[in-house]
Amino acid sequence: MSRTDPAQGEPLMRIRNLDKSFGGVKAVDDVTMDLRAGIVTTLVGPNGAGKTTFFNLITGNLARDGGEVTWLGRDIAGVKPHRIARAGVMRTYQDLRLFDGMTVWENVLNATEYGALPIPEGRAARLRKRERIERVLERTGLADKRDTRALDLAYAERKFLSLARIMATEARLWLLDEPASGLDPNSYERFLTILREDVAQGVTVCIIEHNLDIVIGISDRIAFLDRGRLLADGDPQSVLNDPELAKIYFGDRA
Amino acid sequence: MEAYIFNLVNLIAIYSILAVTLNFIMGYAGIYSLAHAVFFGLGAYSSAWVAQHVSPSIFVSYPAAMVAAGAVSLLLALPALRVRGEYFVAASLGLQVLSVTIFSEWKSFTGGIGGVLAIPPVDILGLEVFRPAQFAVLSVIVLVVVLLVINALVHSSFGRNLRAIRDSESAAASFGKNVPMIKTISVVISAALAAVAGALYASYLSFINVESFTLDTSVLVMAMVIIGGTGTVAGPIVGAALLLLLPSVISYFDFLPRTEIGSLQQIIYGLGMTLLMIFRPGGIVGRRSGT
Repeated sequence: MSRTDPAQGEPLMRIRNLDKSFGGVKAVDDVTMDLRAGIVTTLVGPNGAGKTTFFNLITGNLARDGGEVTWLGRDIAGVKPHRIARAGVMRTYQDLRLFDGMTVWENVLNATEYGALPIPEGRAARLRKRERIERVLERTGLADKRDTRALDLAYAERKFLSLARIMATEARLWLLDEPASGLDPNSYERFLTILREDVAQGVTVCIIEHNLDIVIGISDRIAFLDRGRLLADGDPQSVLNDPELAKIYFGDRA
Repeated sequence: MEAYIFNLVNLIAIYSILAVTLNFIMGYAGIYSLAHAVFFGLGAYSSAWVAQHVSPSIFVSYPAAMVAAGAVSLLLALPALRVRGEYFVAASLGLQVLSVTIFSEWKSFTGGIGGVLAIPPVDILGLEVFRPAQFAVLSVIVLVVVLLVINALVHSSFGRNLRAIRDSESAAASFGKNVPMIKTISVVISAALAAVAGALYASYLSFINVESFTLDTSVLVMAMVIIGGTGTVAGPIVGAALLLLLPSVISYFDFLPRTEIGSLQQIIYGLGMTLLMIFRPGGIVGRRSGT
């Protein structure tokens, strides 16, 4: 499937004045930004800045208090998470949420199975799906582990399985919640390669990441969140070099 | 002796169907229901009613039982599956308690406490099946068909979706799965197939009453699943056979006091289940650790 229809840089998802509070604490506060086609936007900010909440809001996992989110021009207020997913927005979770009792192969296969009831597929379609999954497992280094239960995988393998599930889908927007945290340097190179290849194929990515090397290595745009507010949204150099932001980001650790 | 053995075969086959269909939602979808005896009962009463008033043909009374149980399960599933798992257990318990009252009071349909008498034997293309040996062939064939249906479902995308939901509902939804819909369908399938066990039971015994469809039965079937091995293919059948054979085995030991056999049986069940959960939480057939 072609993922390239809107020109690079066109906004696929528009977020306007997004708000969410938990018991009086503003977790996401008046955030306005666009996620643009074929571009990697990285969300950075201290812990508790509202990054994961932001993902939960734009995937329908949480109901927003105010603001507007449109996907390909369509308002997705109140749309159920599975419908938003089917429309092409898929995510990973920081705590992975793999299908632990299923094998690697089943995890990836099942990520592509939306229908409630089994729909018979033609031989050609089955074969295409099989090849697609084989390819994903090759790229993520999980080909040897295809019959291993997700529960029995090592940490890095679990991280890659989380990514493999989303790679196998037709999703156009990937929301990745700390996909590289805790990876060793080899795995981390593999991760960057995968991401660059898929972005070159037209996938749009929004990624939450703490590791500044990865942030610099991958981002086309950086959005800086702090206490729910979007403090900056621009090209990596200008955001990272902003002394005010550096103070917020590193302030607690210095 | 022969009749005794065939009688056991029939009961084991019928309870195996109940255990297999409960395992379908418990083991694969993670939906714990304490109302399985309700669908067993609905199947029995509906098929009995249809056999008496419409036709005792297996192609009429058994499907009618499935439709009735499937429809009632929808009433449970639609509201209860939109909320978290624990609420479904509570809601199913509520349905179970409510249903026993209805089964006891709705005399025109269930015969009240007295039950339904003189249920005609099931008719298969003109052949009336009622002798234990003949019926054993029927009940085992039905069990095999139910097993094949469940097995096909479990190994299809539907089965993978159920296991995905069991492992992480939110991740399943994030991959486009309509979680409440899939869970609802699984409950309806489970209830409709449990009703087949009820239909077998009614046409085999030719007499049914509310005693067979109480909470005790729901708990017994759940125990069969857990003891045999939740989420396994053979487990529920092993569990059903074991729990149904236990009373006969105990009665062989002559030195045991006759009058205490009932309570002895309870002690053995309770002790066995506790020990099993400590040393083999996956059940007899299940994996040693985890699931």
